[in-house]
Amino acid sequence: MSELNNNTAPQQNEELQNIVCPENLVHSKPALLNDQTMHYCPGCSHGVVHKLIAEVIEEMGMAEKTIGVSPVGCAVFAYRYIDIDWQEAAHGRAPAVATASKRLWPDRLVFTYQGDGDLGCIGTAEAIHALNRGENITIIFVNNAIYGMTGGQMAPTTLLGMKTATCPDGRQADLHGYPIKMTELAAQLDGTAYVTRQSVHSVPAIRKAKKAIRKAFENSMAGKGSNLVEIVGTCSSGWKMTPEKANAWMEQHMFAHYHVGDLKDTEVNREPVKL
Amino acid sequence: MSKIKGAVVVDVDRCKGCNLCVVACPTQTLALTTNEVNHKGYVYSYMAQPDSCIGCSSCAIVCPDGCISVYKTKPATAKPAVVADKVEIVSGVAPLVNNVPVEEEREVVLMKGNEAIAHAAVRCGCDGYFGYPITPQSEVLETLAELKPWETTGMVVLQAESEVAAINMLYGGGGTGKRVMTSSASVGIALMQEGISYMAGAEVPGVIVNVQRGGPGLGTIQPSQSDYNQATRGGGNGDYNVIVLAPNSVQEMADFVDQAFELAFKYRTPVMILTDGVIGQMMEKVVLPPYKPRRTEAELVAECPWASNGNGLKQRGVNVVTSLELDPVEMEKKNLQLQAKFKKIAENEVRYETVGCEDADYLIVAFGSAARISEKAMSLARERGIKVGLFRPITLWPFPEAEIREISKTMKGVLTMEINAGQMVFDVRAAVESQIPVAHFGRLGGIVPDPEEVVNALVEKLVK
Repeated sequence: MSELNNNTAPQQNEELQNIVCPENLVHSKPALLNDQTMHYCPGCSHGVVHKLIAEVIEEMGMAEKTIGVSPVGCAVFAYRYIDIDWQEAAHGRAPAVATASKRLWPDRLVFTYQGDGDLGCIGTAEAIHALNRGENITIIFVNNAIYGMTGGQMAPTTLLGMKTATCPDGRQADLHGYPIKMTELAAQLDGTAYVTRQSVHSVPAIRKAKKAIRKAFENSMAGKGSNLVEIVGTCSSGWKMTPEKANAWMEQHMFAHYHVGDLKDTEVNREPVKL
Repeated sequence: MSKIKGAVVVDVDRCKGCNLCVVACPTQTLALTTNEVNHKGYVYSYMAQPDSCIGCSSCAIVCPDGCISVYKTKPATAKPAVVADKVEIVSGVAPLVNNVPVEEEREVVLMKGNEAIAHAAVRCGCDGYFGYPITPQSEVLETLAELKPWETTGMVVLQAESEVAAINMLYGGGGTGKRVMTSSASVGIALMQEGISYMAGAEVPGVIVNVQRGGPGLGTIQPSQSDYNQATRGGGNGDYNVIVLAPNSVQEMADFVDQAFELAFKYRTPVMILTDGVIGQMMEKVVLPPYKPRRTEAELVAECPWASNGNGLKQRGVNVVTSLELDPVEMEKKNLQLQAKFKKIAENEVRYETVGCEDADYLIVAFGSAARISEKAMSLARERGIKVGLFRPITLWPFPEAEIREISKTMKGVLTMEINAGQMVFDVRAAVESQIPVAHFGRLGGIVPDPEEVVNALVEKLVK
């Protein structure tokens, strides 16, 4: 922790020092999120999602009973930051890896952490079939509509008109096909218990996303079936915007195609909801 | 009480100056530095207006890098903060049973090689089987589905959506320290190479059965040995080898499953049982191995302290199963460690069998079903007065190179008999170091050679 290096008057500084004491601590990084600086770009949504997962595992007291499966993509190094046991899967194969871990260790909390290329493109078969079998796992799906790690190429979820390195004039349906809605697909599958789309761009959104992750994890442990939590996120570097502008762009454009909310919750209704 | 209600402490070295906390702050307390940067060169967030902080935590909640701690003076009536829910999480998923069925008399039974593989898996404490139907190995999964081991030993059996998924289930299960197995045939094994390479790289044990059929491409459903090169050279990307066992009978199909698991866990590496449609489909007498219980969690953790299953995390630290390393110095070190392991395997695990080599002038080298045919060819040749011996490599990798070199010293020539266009022949030539002629005979397209053809080839190519 740094010093209170603020441009404050000595008297003010003293008052601040009085506030900064363990009994007054109301919010800090969860202990499971370790001290390593994350490799993500400034403002990247992955950091918030990592933090929420760490908080939920911590609050559920499941640190020693969790197996995380990290993907290929920007989050490949998720295992460096959250202090639980991890296995790093091949591109798209995380749900198959998690299927075996959960079936062989029924009392463990097993989740995958996947991006849009990993889940919505190369790993579509593994994702759909794990969800459809009703594997008692949770898939955390971070959708920022671009391939971040390889340098900003078109993703299966790239919006029409959106410019990337491999569709420099913008995605065109006749050339590149349409952006895929994996979460809507997942909601149609009988094996899924809870399918939701969230975001992490504001305080209320983050609070909701955390509740969604908690619910999904609890479902997995209760044996209710598969859970998919999509987080619509930003990629400031790939989108070539400041984090603040990226959030605004996401609200305006991404949410218009990827509607935020619960698509299916078998506790409430067996049938998927049309958003 | 002072008018200051809250305070924010920024971990300056973690901060990347993304500005999201500044935007989220409802009281304009925070700002980014304009001139000062942290050790990574980023401007960072600080309390520009400390007076206005209300300790709402918005900044910390939106911070993607977890670098903000928020403090707040609490009113006297405040309830104590809830640190963690003391909720006991009880799994709603039924735990796996682990019963060893009562041992029947170990009688001789008649069954297919593929069925023997399935029975042996259940009996040797296998924890899970993941597979996808493909001819000529589908009886493995079918037999397991009939045996229902999940009701007795607790072994998990799952039909995957593809061979790609099946091998990644193997990678997942093996990564948690469980004894897991898959089976497929040539075309499917080609699809599995990604996962096999990952398993070798991440040092994940597991058993893969390849009941070979002819290729290339979709090829044929008839038997073949044309995956020899793929199996013995690693098969996927990167520098690695897979231990390859080649059974030549239904009995060996049953016996090699346990041996394969032992090797896989001894060396933390994938092991392949390379067989073919002949042995897989052929019915023979077999005595199945005795039942061995699946390992308990305590036994598993003792054997696999590296495995990613959460057990003992607080004492041992985090376990990560991965093949990834971006630092070239570290990656070279990792590769050298793997190579040292493969060298150790090559020095210690070579297995082979010889038949009638003592007085032989000519040597046939053959494995699996080809060795069975060659054994008959050997006796036919001897009836014709040609003294032939048989060398059968049981491990195709590591290859019994020194042993073949030694035994061939007294021979006039070597014939490799393989049901392919000539793959092992290169390993045999390398072994004998061009001291004597080495010829190849084989049939393709799913045709299994008959012993007479082998003798004729031997005469034509070597004896004249």
